[in-house]
Amino acid sequence: MVVKQETKSMTGNDAASYAALYAKPEVIAAYPITPQTTIVENLSRYVDAGILDAEFIIVESEHSALAACMGAAWSGVRTFTATSSQGLLYMAENVFWSGYGRLPIIMPVVNRCLAPGWNIWPDFQDSMAFRDAGWIQMYTKNNQEVFDTVLQSFKITEDKEIALPSMPCLDGFVISHTTGQVDLPDAEDAYEFVGPYDDPIIEIDVDNPWAFGPMTGPDLYAKNRRDLMAAMERAKKKIVSVHKEFDERFGRSYGNGLVEPYGDDEADLTLVTLGTIGDESQEAIDRLKAEGHNVNALRVRTFRPFPFEDIIEFAKKNHKLAVIDRAVSFGHEGPLRIEVEAVLKRFNVDTEITGQIMGIGGEDVSYSKIIDYAKKELKE
Amino acid sequence: MPVTQKDLMIKPKDALLKGHFACAGCGSALAFRHAIGSVADKAVLVVPASCASVYQGSGKGVSFNVPTVNTAFAASDAVASGISRALKKKGKDDLKVIVWGGDGSAADIGIATEIGACDRQENILHVMYSNNVYGNTGGQRSGDTMIGARTATTPDGNTTPRKMVPFILMANNARYVATASAAFLEDFVEKFQKALSMEGFKFIQIDISCPPNWRADSADSVKISRLGVQTGIWPLFEWDRETNTVVLSRPGKKYNEKENRKPITDWTKLQGRFRGITEAELKALEEDTERQWNFIRKFM
Repeated sequence: MVVKQETKSMTGNDAASYAALYAKPEVIAAYPITPQTTIVENLSRYVDAGILDAEFIIVESEHSALAACMGAAWSGVRTFTATSSQGLLYMAENVFWSGYGRLPIIMPVVNRCLAPGWNIWPDFQDSMAFRDAGWIQMYTKNNQEVFDTVLQSFKITEDKEIALPSMPCLDGFVISHTTGQVDLPDAEDAYEFVGPYDDPIIEIDVDNPWAFGPMTGPDLYAKNRRDLMAAMERAKKKIVSVHKEFDERFGRSYGNGLVEPYGDDEADLTLVTLGTIGDESQEAIDRLKAEGHNVNALRVRTFRPFPFEDIIEFAKKNHKLAVIDRAVSFGHEGPLRIEVEAVLKRFNVDTEITGQIMGIGGEDVSYSKIIDYAKKELKE
Repeated sequence: MPVTQKDLMIKPKDALLKGHFACAGCGSALAFRHAIGSVADKAVLVVPASCASVYQGSGKGVSFNVPTVNTAFAASDAVASGISRALKKKGKDDLKVIVWGGDGSAADIGIATEIGACDRQENILHVMYSNNVYGNTGGQRSGDTMIGARTATTPDGNTTPRKMVPFILMANNARYVATASAAFLEDFVEKFQKALSMEGFKFIQIDISCPPNWRADSADSVKISRLGVQTGIWPLFEWDRETNTVVLSRPGKKYNEKENRKPITDWTKLQGRFRGITEAELKALEEDTERQWNFIRKFM
């Protein structure tokens, strides 16, 4: 039975901090960076007001923000931080350290482009730089999905079989600072869904001392990385099952949790997207269909682990994929297109594929622009 | 409580098991065994990239007999902050969170992290064991390298003064700051335990000999450290925020007076890193040493 929820209007960052509040992290580390800042500001207010019983560490850099969360994770407590853009880059070595170290940390990334020049608007260049860091990455399309995804992330990340940090991604400003509708469950119901973190993945124990991350020869090192690869595979199933459980309790779903198809199963053109462009594409699809075009869409919600099975299954039924990327691998294509194209080849699927890079540095990606692009691809 | 030679012989738990990878004559491993051994049942170690990340041993054969978290070079004090807060949250704040790292992290790459933890008054102790050089990577100059030292990146001799990390942390309101020497272990362990009895950010800088990088005979390890104190190169003191006073430590007290000091060359001549040191460099090294003492005296 779906629990009672209250419809509220709030920004995407508010939605992220509500989810964090409801999950009751015990250690939070915070460093300001636009457009993430209001997430940790909200949490500092909750802590000061006594609504959230957490240690709040006001660190001197993002490098230390993640490092403090890592210390908390090693100590066996639930932990949370958030960042954006240059802040994520400044954390870099700790992002890999915590991913490869299998530390259960939840860190929303409010996507913002990278300098130079100074620009606070969204693209995915920041989080895409960390797709190989061993973190789960889920891209959200609206404020509601931010709340839902952050809440789900705790349950996925803290599963002993998974033990991978999570980076729920939300487009800067388009979601983070834009007020939208969010159906909010009671704090108790949300917490009951996540559950307490009382059987930690790892915990410092003076009676049973271990060393974390000492010098490791090639054999053991390679085994650790292969374990990480296997955990990523398991994470796909876990994301689906947590998403399903969430749907049963709260009555909301996003495809199967890995990918969200939109429109008919078979079409002449399929828009493949990430993040808010996925939401805007749905509007574009509705309008294109009203004009008589046969189009559909597939929003990749989970980018790491990469749900290639679901993408292939959908691609097989369709004729042409048009991938919209909000990031570039300079010297190549957009990362989403590269990866989708690779799996088509790998599974001998002859569905045509093309792509377009849009929305870099916050360039507006309206449904009308998507419609123009789709029409161009339909003609070719 | 004064720590005696006898106390050092009693190890409630051996913190450094057989098979560690420390070089012969390593002052850091020596200091580790005695200091960490004195609190082995309560110690939680955080080790940045440093010699300690090597000499703890490898893979499943780690010889540190206490929980040990290895961190990125600049991350240790922030990781320790997270651990300390989490332990507090769990009601386990009787445990002692100790950063054990070298001068590369404490004086250079990790100094912002360290000052950050100090500024927040995190309940941790940072022990900076200093061989005044990046030891692991083959002996390059660090911010704590002494004037005149020949290192892999200053083959003609280092020209810049030491960073004097203890004073930086005093200025940033640390709870307790001390210096120590591996040649005077009773004094070091006493300061170590005293620091751990206090709440807040504590810092101890300990001089440890590094025979490979100092190009010295490992048999001279303790002797060189002792001469470091006796020549005035290594002032031994402690400073407490509550009194804002520097107290010179018993083994090094008399070297405040220049006339009691042995010539610096007694110390330099045992170390290949000072081979070829010029008169001008020696003079500059002496002046830098005096600069430290002058700073200390302001707080006495």
